[in-house]
Amino acid sequence: MKKLLLTACAAAALLSASAAMAADAPKARIAVLMYGNKAEFVQLMERYGKEHPAVKAGIAEVTFYDGRYDAAVQNDQAQMAINTKQDAIVVNPMDYEANIDIATNAKMAGIPVVVTNARLNTDEMTAEVVSDDVLGGYLEAKDVLTKLGCKGNVVIIEGPKGGSGEIQRGQGNEKALAECPAGAVKVLERKTANWSRAEALDLMQNWLSKHPGKINGVIGQNDEMALGAIEAIKAADLNVKDFAIAGIDGVTDALHAVKAGEMTSILQDARGQIQGSIDVALRAVKGPDYKPMSPIWEQYKADLAWADGQSKRYDIPWTVVTTANVDELLKDRN
Amino acid sequence: MGHPLMHITQPAAKAPISLRKYGIVFAFLGLCVLVSALCQLKVVQGAWPENTFLTVNNLMLILHQISVNGVLAVGMTFVVISAGIDLSVGSVLAFSGMMAASMATRSVGVTPWSDTYPVIFPIIAALGVGALCGGLSGWIIARFRIQAFIATLGMLLAARGFTMSVTGGNPISGLSPDFRWFGTGKLFEVIPVPVVILALVFLLAWVILNKTVFGRYVYAVGGNEKSARTSGINTGAILIWVYVVAGFLAGVAGVILTAKTGSAQTSAGSSYELDAIAAVVIGGASLAGGVGRLTGTFFGALIIGVMNNGLDILGVQSFYQLIIKGGLIVVAVILDPSRKQAG
Repeated sequence: MKKLLLTACAAAALLSASAAMAADAPKARIAVLMYGNKAEFVQLMERYGKEHPAVKAGIAEVTFYDGRYDAAVQNDQAQMAINTKQDAIVVNPMDYEANIDIATNAKMAGIPVVVTNARLNTDEMTAEVVSDDVLGGYLEAKDVLTKLGCKGNVVIIEGPKGGSGEIQRGQGNEKALAECPAGAVKVLERKTANWSRAEALDLMQNWLSKHPGKINGVIGQNDEMALGAIEAIKAADLNVKDFAIAGIDGVTDALHAVKAGEMTSILQDARGQIQGSIDVALRAVKGPDYKPMSPIWEQYKADLAWADGQSKRYDIPWTVVTTANVDELLKDRN
Repeated sequence: MGHPLMHITQPAAKAPISLRKYGIVFAFLGLCVLVSALCQLKVVQGAWPENTFLTVNNLMLILHQISVNGVLAVGMTFVVISAGIDLSVGSVLAFSGMMAASMATRSVGVTPWSDTYPVIFPIIAALGVGALCGGLSGWIIARFRIQAFIATLGMLLAARGFTMSVTGGNPISGLSPDFRWFGTGKLFEVIPVPVVILALVFLLAWVILNKTVFGRYVYAVGGNEKSARTSGINTGAILIWVYVVAGFLAGVAGVILTAKTGSAQTSAGSSYELDAIAAVVIGGASLAGGVGRLTGTFFGALIIGVMNNGLDILGVQSFYQLIIKGGLIVVAVILDPSRKQAG
């Protein structure tokens, strides 16, 4: 009897130990290298990254690193991640060219590397989980031009010159403009405001002063700059609703402005990009048994195939935010 | 070589009074004429229907746009005259703007009678945070004899970090209309409130710098700290107060910018210190200390404002804008007759 009890105890101990070990089964450690952390979009990515079901279930551990808007800092952080034998790297690169080493070095070290949000000019990465900026630029310009009925004068507030965002969203803007009859829409001005609301505010004020009563539409290559334009219009005592305005990203302030009927925003899905990236990275670490855990694959199943996590590129769809769907999206913030 | 004080007074005394005093005004008027002529040329060519540069509206707009830089530049003038430099004003602006915004949003039941703090709270918070940051920099400079460049470089980084720590990096929006009045309101339906604030700041600062003992001491400390100390001035206290003024005004600028854009952002004010220094230097102050006047700074800020506005209106691309601005700063200093000779 005593012996039996002892065995039972031992068995129970063993069981609980193995159960504990299963829970402790080495977490996949993923280093997420962000280009910086001073923008709301980056904050959203961090939040959604930590909310990934695999992270919550303790299967994966994600650590976010702040690249401080410096490609060299990101390259160093990637080297550190390789040296400390992280299981995978997710990188939101600062620079299209200067961060290529991250993909190359990780590949040499045999560590999966997923590029998210922005692009890298290489094909050494495991996969890209991005949103097509050309399409985003097309959608926002199309929205402005549709509202104007392909008639009138527009201004374009551009991202930092030479960055991949400015180039690709600009290409999309041009594509939509080209679909209007030749000469029907005039681009009065185009200039950079470096993604900044304060800079766009000054720029738009100057344009309104230069072209009184002539500007009909504002194409802001991101939301912050579109919001700056809205402030400029208000400061000039004009009615925002007399203008067709659009921006890209879907930051919270822009969603509020959409709700107020002041602009359209093209939502770049921070959750889709980061959670998709984590799923693709985990598939590469854990092997074919891994099934994606983020709800985004269900949400976008019509437009976005999981393809067993083996695709080279995942295009996270854009959402055109209008008064019709803005309430649903605002519920997700705070 | 003579008495050491002669080096400070003599070169300035040699310059013709009128040019020394009004050179900057002529430079400003010249720039206005130049931009206006270029605009007029477009009108004559038939490219534009009218010259929109030289209108009351546009000039008011320029004043509105220089309000933030102008306020920062006033503080920087005090610092530069005291032979120092304050690299932290852009970061301190962001920090105080963030503190103000955190108290200017709707939060249920903060007082028994209202959902928002009375607007005086965020204002005091911003000005207080600014003055504290400035005071800390000044204390470090005065107490530990650390170069202003280094001490305020430290503050530049720390204040940016504090800004991000307030909300973990997120922006704050949804500011109360009372608060936004400081950036978007208009006095008598015409004069933007930031322009009024700018005018008040210049006026007050002018009185302090030119009509008070403190102002005289700032010049004395900047001209020659050693002789100022021997003649019984508490130079440490003067230095601390100089940086308190700069920080306090960074707080004022933080309120204006946050209220103007309707959102406090962690990246706000990045590199604004450079524009403030540029305005002060174009305005004729010497980084060697002891020399500088607020009217010069005012026109320095105006010149930068007219240039930004004019180049936007003329449709000059932003990279040329930077080149022109860079050239202007250097040329302004080379041409300034009141410049204190090196050596």
